[in-house]
Amino acid sequence: MGNKGIRDKVAIIGCDASKFGEQWDKSQYDLLFEASHGAFKDAGITKDEIEAAWVGIFYYFTGMSGATVEDILRLDGIPITRTENYCASGMDAFRNACFGVASGVYDVVLACGVEKLMDEGSSGLPGFKIFGHPVFPLPSAPAMFSLAATRCFHEFGWTREDLARVAVKNHDNGSYHPKAHFKRKISIEQAMKAPMIADPLGRFDCCAMSDGAAALILTTPELAESYAHADDYVVVKANAISTRTNFPWYVPANGPGADFTSFPSTVKAAKMAYKEAGITNPRQEIDAAEVHDCFTITELINDQDLQFCERGQAAEELKNGTFNWDGETAVNPSGGLKSFGHPIGSTGCRMLQEITKQLQGRAEGRQVPDAKIGLCHNLGGAFSVASVTVLGQRD
Amino acid sequence: MIGIKSYGAYLPKYLMPRELIARAWDFPSVPGNKAVASIDEDSLTMSVEAGLDCLSGIDPKSIDGLFFASTTQVYTEKDSASFIATVLDMRTDIITTDFTDSLKAGTSALARAVDTIKANPDVKSILIIAADTREAEPATMWEYGYADGAAALLVTEGEDLPIIIDDYYSVSANVTGPWKRTKEDKFIRTFEVKMDARFYIENVTKVMSEIMKRNNLTPENVDIAAYYYNNPRLHSRVSKMMKFGQGVAQNGLFFQVGDTGTSMPFMLLISALKRPKEGAKIILAGFGDGADAILMHLQDRKAVRELSKNHMGIAGHQKSMIQLRNYNVFIENRQLLEKDRFVRKSSAVTLWRDTDAVYKMYGLKCTNCGTIQYPTNARSCVVCRADDQLERVKLNLKGTIFTYTLDHLVGGTYLDTPIPRCVIDLDGGGRVLLNMTEIEKPEDNVKIGMNVELTFRRIHEGGEFKNYYYKCRPPRGRQ
Repeated sequence: MGNKGIRDKVAIIGCDASKFGEQWDKSQYDLLFEASHGAFKDAGITKDEIEAAWVGIFYYFTGMSGATVEDILRLDGIPITRTENYCASGMDAFRNACFGVASGVYDVVLACGVEKLMDEGSSGLPGFKIFGHPVFPLPSAPAMFSLAATRCFHEFGWTREDLARVAVKNHDNGSYHPKAHFKRKISIEQAMKAPMIADPLGRFDCCAMSDGAAALILTTPELAESYAHADDYVVVKANAISTRTNFPWYVPANGPGADFTSFPSTVKAAKMAYKEAGITNPRQEIDAAEVHDCFTITELINDQDLQFCERGQAAEELKNGTFNWDGETAVNPSGGLKSFGHPIGSTGCRMLQEITKQLQGRAEGRQVPDAKIGLCHNLGGAFSVASVTVLGQRD
Repeated sequence: MIGIKSYGAYLPKYLMPRELIARAWDFPSVPGNKAVASIDEDSLTMSVEAGLDCLSGIDPKSIDGLFFASTTQVYTEKDSASFIATVLDMRTDIITTDFTDSLKAGTSALARAVDTIKANPDVKSILIIAADTREAEPATMWEYGYADGAAALLVTEGEDLPIIIDDYYSVSANVTGPWKRTKEDKFIRTFEVKMDARFYIENVTKVMSEIMKRNNLTPENVDIAAYYYNNPRLHSRVSKMMKFGQGVAQNGLFFQVGDTGTSMPFMLLISALKRPKEGAKIILAGFGDGADAILMHLQDRKAVRELSKNHMGIAGHQKSMIQLRNYNVFIENRQLLEKDRFVRKSSAVTLWRDTDAVYKMYGLKCTNCGTIQYPTNARSCVVCRADDQLERVKLNLKGTIFTYTLDHLVGGTYLDTPIPRCVIDLDGGGRVLLNMTEIEKPEDNVKIGMNVELTFRRIHEGGEFKNYYYKCRPPRGRQ
């Protein structure tokens, strides 16, 4: 591979996130300011040390272009780029920031994400009128993922109760996290009795609309030695994105992803990331994973696509405790999107700062015991974009 | 000789029991049902259905013209005939004309089709489609009558046609009503119902008597009289005045499906052809500001039998019609309540460019790996990734559900939720995503592996024009 790839070339030296939730009294200015200055403080730097920034924003009403960040942070004219890649926008901002450091162009950069969804009202993702074809059906996000749920029920015999267990586990984890949107534990019965959103997904199978921001400060491992987290900075072991069609429902039966029981973007991104990170047995080697549980069905499929368990076994493994915070592979120990909601552009960065803190032994919610290797996974669009990042402790 | 080669019809899925209207307004009850279009239907979509039924087993590219007849065309300064011809995948070197503004537009279009075929050596066949979705003012007696539906006749030149057209004759009359002012009226108006009835009886009897006289026919010689009516009592008065024998005047449809407007004479004819008699003499008559009569005879009984076997016609649709459970569904289907409705953005240019995919249901076939795929805008195969080796192919309008969801988050029309959104493997190849329409209790009735038919529907009115596309439905039996 020569000098190719990102492994061991980038270090996370500071990170933070805002509180997530219905933040009626705060704008994107407050949210990103708080997350970014939290990260500056964590890294022990001032904003003047940032040489370039990337920001994940999905919706135009949160802000267009890097100028949104400039208006919030006043970084005095440094290069700032907005990245948009559906729900992976945040992790793609991080990926581009990694390139900025790994290429040697910059020493210290900011990767951040912010989204202010609640200002548009709380009944489902807004803005679907603004893009897409005039007459082809445009399913709501829950409907897209329900297409997979229906098929998994058919293929694997999963049930709504299996889905409810994902919600119960994640809300349980989230109840310990001070920054979570929802901090109440729920029961299987509660989850199953909730109103339908897109059959077979009910309200507790869906993550909520939410506001939030997260930020990370990156540099090289060599330079990291001279910052505040010199002893426990976190290293990027791999970072991969795979992009597939916007329209999985048009992929004919013999095409990639046509079975609707696996997301080929995740499978490919995981394969690339594991190869780069040198991971051969993800179930054993990954201690803590923040995966994209936009819907309960998504988490179960992710568990399989990320090779935490065999195909068709995710529901059973979850039932057996494999994915509990103290299980074999802790999945969403923070509480995931189920507990935090999904302010689109910020979610990837929130996951990354969460796993960074897990590997540093300072998780704000449930601390996964002895976490050394962590994984973050974003899935966006109609399973169109998947981003997988592997993080590890410094040598 | 010129005659009728094929026929087709369309009746919407739902019947409004007249009892529901009576109960809604505390009116005296009237027996029977009337056919009512769904929220996603109009005269254009129903015409596509009737056209597909008529052209079952016939190459649409072999037809030289399309005449559309309606009083409820969806546009003015834009015709419907050319749009329908596009959706039916007909050629572009054809004649297309709308016949509008009078309830006799259907029979007039038929007569003019015969004229055209006689006069123009380039035109040997014309598809005539009549359709109406007339709006009755709620809480008036008109609500009992006005119904929705479409019917199609394929008129061609030829020797061995099932039905031969022998003669046609028209009268014109400036009647006192009904009418609908172009700008001011949402509903049909009239001044004096008794005068309307007088015009109806005078014109219909006059036009039928005259065509019989011209052809030396006595009432005993007439086997089928299919003439428009909107009132069963007036219908039987005409029959008595004409001295038609028992069962000659076709009178069943008003009670079963209501007054379907321009398409009604065609529907009465199609219904009557279920019991074909060799050599039967048929009079078809339409009324509205005058009247048309068309004289035909049944030339080939076996061929007519075949027609009724291979086309849904009226009876084929009636089998799958069900009654509305409440009047409110009808109110919402007609959007008679003012409320905010979700409107998508649109682009007339995008839709025009995607005509093959959106209107004609074409897909692509990869010449490298053979995979059939949808829609038509791709340049690179979704399976083998070969570039620019995709050729357009017509896809089947039937398929099987691969997966689905019942979406409760559909903007605006909360009445209809959940909307089934179905990933469908079309018979013969191609996978599409379509919403399902006209499904009862989707929670129980939508399943993986379920067979569906595609149906052309109005989707929304974004961009201030009609946006049409396909939906799927549980099979109604279209071939």
